[in-house]
Amino acid sequence: MNTITKELMTTTVAVSELCVHVGSTQLMGPVSFAVAPGETLVVMGETGAGKSLIAQAILGTLPEQLHSSGVIEVNGERVDNVAAHIRAASWGRQIAALPQEPWRALSPLKRSARHVRETYRYVAQHADPESSCARVFEALGLVGAEERLPSELSGGMAQRVAFAAATAGGAPILLADEPTKGLDNDRRARVVELLSEVPRQGGTLIAITHEVAVARALGGKLIVLKDGQVVEQGDTLSILAAPGHAYTQELIAADPSSWPQTASATPGKVLLEACELSVVRAGQNLIEGLNLSLRQGERVALLGPSGVGKTSLLDTLAGLHAPARGSVKRADGLGPRAVQKLYQDPPTAFAQHVSLDVSLRDAARLNDTPWSELEDLLSRLAVPLSLLARRPDAVSGGELQRVALARALSARPSVLLADEPTSRLDPITQARTLEMLAQIADARRLGVVLVTHDAHIAERWAHRCVSLS
Amino acid sequence: MPWVRSVLAILAGRSLQALIVALVVGIVSFIMMQALPGDAAYRIAAGRYGYDMMDAASADAVRLELGLDRPWWIQLRAWLGELASFDLGRSHVYGSSVIEKVATQLKYSLLLAGGAVIASLLIALPVGIAAGMRPGGTVDRISLVVSIFLRAIPAFALGIVLVLVFAVQLGFLPVAGFRGPQYLILPSLTLGLGLAAVSSRVVRDAVADAMSAEWRLFARTKGLTARRTIMSHVMRNAALPVVAYVGVQGAYLIEGVVIVETVFAWPGIGHALVHAIFGRDVAMVQGTALALGLIYVGLNLFIDLTCRLIDPRSS
Amino acid sequence: MNTVTPEVMPDARQLPSIKASRIAGLALFGVLGCAAVIGPDLVGHDPATQSLLDARQGPSAEHLLGTDHLGRDMAARLLSGARLSMGLALLSILSAGVPGALLGVLAARSGGWTDRLLTAFADAVLALPGLLLVLMLAAISPGSWWALYVGISLTLWVEYFRYTRQRARVVFAAPQVEASRMLGLGPWLILRRHLIPEIGPGLLTIAAFGAATAVTAVAALGFVSVGIRPPQAEWGVMMTELLPY
Repeated sequence: MNTITKELMTTTVAVSELCVHVGSTQLMGPVSFAVAPGETLVVMGETGAGKSLIAQAILGTLPEQLHSSGVIEVNGERVDNVAAHIRAASWGRQIAALPQEPWRALSPLKRSARHVRETYRYVAQHADPESSCARVFEALGLVGAEERLPSELSGGMAQRVAFAAATAGGAPILLADEPTKGLDNDRRARVVELLSEVPRQGGTLIAITHEVAVARALGGKLIVLKDGQVVEQGDTLSILAAPGHAYTQELIAADPSSWPQTASATPGKVLLEACELSVVRAGQNLIEGLNLSLRQGERVALLGPSGVGKTSLLDTLAGLHAPARGSVKRADGLGPRAVQKLYQDPPTAFAQHVSLDVSLRDAARLNDTPWSELEDLLSRLAVPLSLLARRPDAVSGGELQRVALARALSARPSVLLADEPTSRLDPITQARTLEMLAQIADARRLGVVLVTHDAHIAERWAHRCVSLS
Repeated sequence: MPWVRSVLAILAGRSLQALIVALVVGIVSFIMMQALPGDAAYRIAAGRYGYDMMDAASADAVRLELGLDRPWWIQLRAWLGELASFDLGRSHVYGSSVIEKVATQLKYSLLLAGGAVIASLLIALPVGIAAGMRPGGTVDRISLVVSIFLRAIPAFALGIVLVLVFAVQLGFLPVAGFRGPQYLILPSLTLGLGLAAVSSRVVRDAVADAMSAEWRLFARTKGLTARRTIMSHVMRNAALPVVAYVGVQGAYLIEGVVIVETVFAWPGIGHALVHAIFGRDVAMVQGTALALGLIYVGLNLFIDLTCRLIDPRSS
Repeated sequence: MNTVTPEVMPDARQLPSIKASRIAGLALFGVLGCAAVIGPDLVGHDPATQSLLDARQGPSAEHLLGTDHLGRDMAARLLSGARLSMGLALLSILSAGVPGALLGVLAARSGGWTDRLLTAFADAVLALPGLLLVLMLAAISPGSWWALYVGISLTLWVEYFRYTRQRARVVFAAPQVEASRMLGLGPWLILRRHLIPEIGPGLLTIAAFGAATAVTAVAALGFVSVGIRPPQAEWGVMMTELLPY
């Protein structure tokens, strides 16, 4: 970092009355804030709230059809009225951006060390980029991954390689857009730790997230956005401790760590029983000697990090795969359709090219469920019937998952197997969806198995938790 | 070493393809032989010894030796056995050995194929890159229309039009045959334009994809200049589908060689194949078809290895 | 004959501009088709009747497009050539597309040896450039219809097969089909709801490319004098005949 600017500047990024428009429609704003060296700003809100637009406007990478108004200053210089190619000169040197999805940000044919080394060589112009690169790989715990291709890196590793590549140019300002997206608790904590280093070393961090836990860990200042509007702004920790706006309260309440504990169930007869179950997929022993029974009205969580075989176990319980060893027994009287599944990515669980109406009517007809019953169910799940005319890709993830739930219930199942049904949803939608699932499961005395990688959800939502590792 | 294994896998796959080519060509030639009118023994004897040197006795000897009165599957086995020992027989039209004949024609065909690929790259790369840098722009739209037009015209018609314009009307270039480098221009251009019509779109898509990729923007925001980003990230990623597509175009190239050689009376294998079919010269048909098929396999092998070199993921 | 592989085929999502051109192409194809079906009867001349006295005339009321070197009516010959090319193209689309797509579904559904055998057969056809195979098959019986037709169908079915098999494998393995099966949808409904809408547009594109390929192949083979023989009016043959003039 340039020592002269450090002494002269009291703020590194200052934004006033920033708005982003498409045509004459305003998507986001107005937003005003100023951050100084050593400070952190967290922008929080749901997907689609316009959080990313702030980062893109500051960096100068707004898509062509969008334009911004208001004043943006970086290191005391006004940049919003400057041509794009001139702003590009500050990239990597004054201001750096951490990508949302590191796998897509690292070009697929380059080995991981080269992504970092070329920044040292061409941007920071280090005399010895090799050793600078080796040092940072050591510091980030990436030793051994130098020659791996991006596709061979885990999510957490790819995020650290992207972090190293983005910051190697020495920029004191770091923009991080959803840096913990898709990471489990452990990996999330490591990324947060990495980001906290930035202000500690005198840099400026602007982090965008929808996760309350990440905001709490980063501290600093907070802006809460809803539909592009600022609903609350101030000190992060005091807002999170005493949120003033209803939306902020809702966001905080939706965080699984603040969910209420589920009362214990009064389980009925056994529906599904796994005995000494072993699951092998693609020659790999995933699960061995598991005993599990699921009773009526019981909610069981299967908890474990990604890649541990949760989905394969679920498919074996569903009878879709034969177990390698052991057995899965269904209670007498449970037919082939008594077990239904909910999927992680709801758009892929529906026929892509026909309307939801067709899919639902097929399911209702084949299972002798009157259509009116399904309509009742949909209205209880707060799905407007007008949505059914659409195709699955034209409906939001939360609504689609509720349609999927209604479809599964049309088969009058006794058991629901849910494979991370809310991991792709916003916290508020996630909380609402799981709450509805719990209500319906209780009302119909269903046995539910929920696969999740979130320990809080497993603890708070389920009656019983099985940890896999 | 994983890369050794992947190279061996490529070699094995393409060897199998070469084997299939030989088998298909052999079987079809055999059927062609059987379907010809007249006595097969006389024809083969003529094929072996030349028309002047054969008589009824040599035909009977051939009949006895090859067992032409035996059931067809035994004859087929014998036919393929000769093929397996690289005995392609003699052309009954030229009297000379097929292998010699094909060997002299081969260099002309390779010259034409090489010229066509170079011509297509000279056209497709600049046009495709310019179009891909600005998708939806003027270059993109014009090149789309031109490429659809060129793709719709059969190669022989394009060749005739080029001859009429450049050779007959303007008199810049020779009409047909081969007596010097200037004779190469029109045939290569005919074939090259047909290839470039599609490959310029592939280049355009590859470049447009790479330019709009998230990793391209990330390379920029981490501080690389636009130029460096294109040189070190965009081009390599864009090259992959383009090189792979040259392999797909191998079929078009071989087919084009046959047609274009005929249009321009080019002394290559394709022209010889058409002549052999016309003259019912089965041994030549088999030899030339086999040579063209093997060139195709060789081209595919070369492309596979190049892709393997560019893309370390394929190991 | 140009083999169109599905991996690089410009589909609607990749190349939005192709969509408009596809419509234009279909329209052109339709006009040509109409001309081919009813045209020869409208012109009122026999395409093969020679009249050396009228040779090489320019366009006139009697001969709309003039006559060729043997005094045959050009309009009649062009249109009759169109009928031939289009007829062959449509026929080969049917006889290549229907079995190709059905076998693709079969291979994807049954897997195992059925799949391996069918794929090996398709690979064997692809081992040679398509036109080379057609050329050799046509050479077995030069000038005859059936050799040309069988050769073209035999090379074209592979596209449908490979495309259908690849897509069907993905669809059959997707959660959408698993969910439908668990809900009790039978094989026919799975095909109707999941597979047909998924592969339909792609198959139509392959068919359009295939028709163009067949027409060009017939013309090219006629041109090198291996396919349709004179005096039958075929476009490629006509170009060869007229080349000296």
